[in-house]
Amino acid sequence: MAASITHRATGIALYSGTVVLAVWIFATALGAEAFRPVGAILSSPIGQMALSGYVWALIFHAFNGLRHLYWDQGRGLDLKSARATALAAFAASFGLAAVIVVAGLMNRAG
Amino acid sequence: MTHKGTATFIAQRTSAVILLPLAIWFLAGAVAHTGSTYEEVRAWLATPLNAGLMGALILTGAFHMRIGVNEIVDDYAPASSRGLWKLLNLLAAAGVAGISIYSLVVLAA
Repeated sequence: MAASITHRATGIALYSGTVVLAVWIFATALGAEAFRPVGAILSSPIGQMALSGYVWALIFHAFNGLRHLYWDQGRGLDLKSARATALAAFAASFGLAAVIVVAGLMNRAG
Repeated sequence: MTHKGTATFIAQRTSAVILLPLAIWFLAGAVAHTGSTYEEVRAWLATPLNAGLMGALILTGAFHMRIGVNEIVDDYAPASSRGLWKLLNLLAAAGVAGISIYSLVVLAA
């Protein structure tokens, strides 16, 4: 239940994130002047928090998407398995997102 | 999802599978470019391989997210406004894809 609504919520978040990605690519193509404000927003504390949330949303949606692909095979559909894999998707997504965000921050700090 | 249900189902799953490796590439690239200068970002995106992978990510992502949001519209929007929401969804997805592909072509050219 929680994983199902979270799948949709993260999907909507990724939709917005893809719009931001398109703006970022467009600004990069336009040149350094156009890129500056976009880069400044993304590297601000609020931008960094939004990007971290985007990373988690992408990873959760991917892991929970794997659950859907597994169900499409007609497997893992009983309540006990569904609950276990939902918990695994939440736990693994938080863990991996944390690793990626820390790796990014360490890389940024040089 | 009323008359083209099976085709939509397959398109959603196929695009999901294509997006998995592209998402891994994207996250690796994002981590590698935290703190990069404009020139470094531009040089990275301008190589044919990275521009191609980014284009594939955006196109497949736009395709996939349009299907997902149409599904949400079917579930929550009143029947009278579904057509309008789906049109807006199509325009947004196509806009994201169009602006990105144009930009990537400019960058890689």
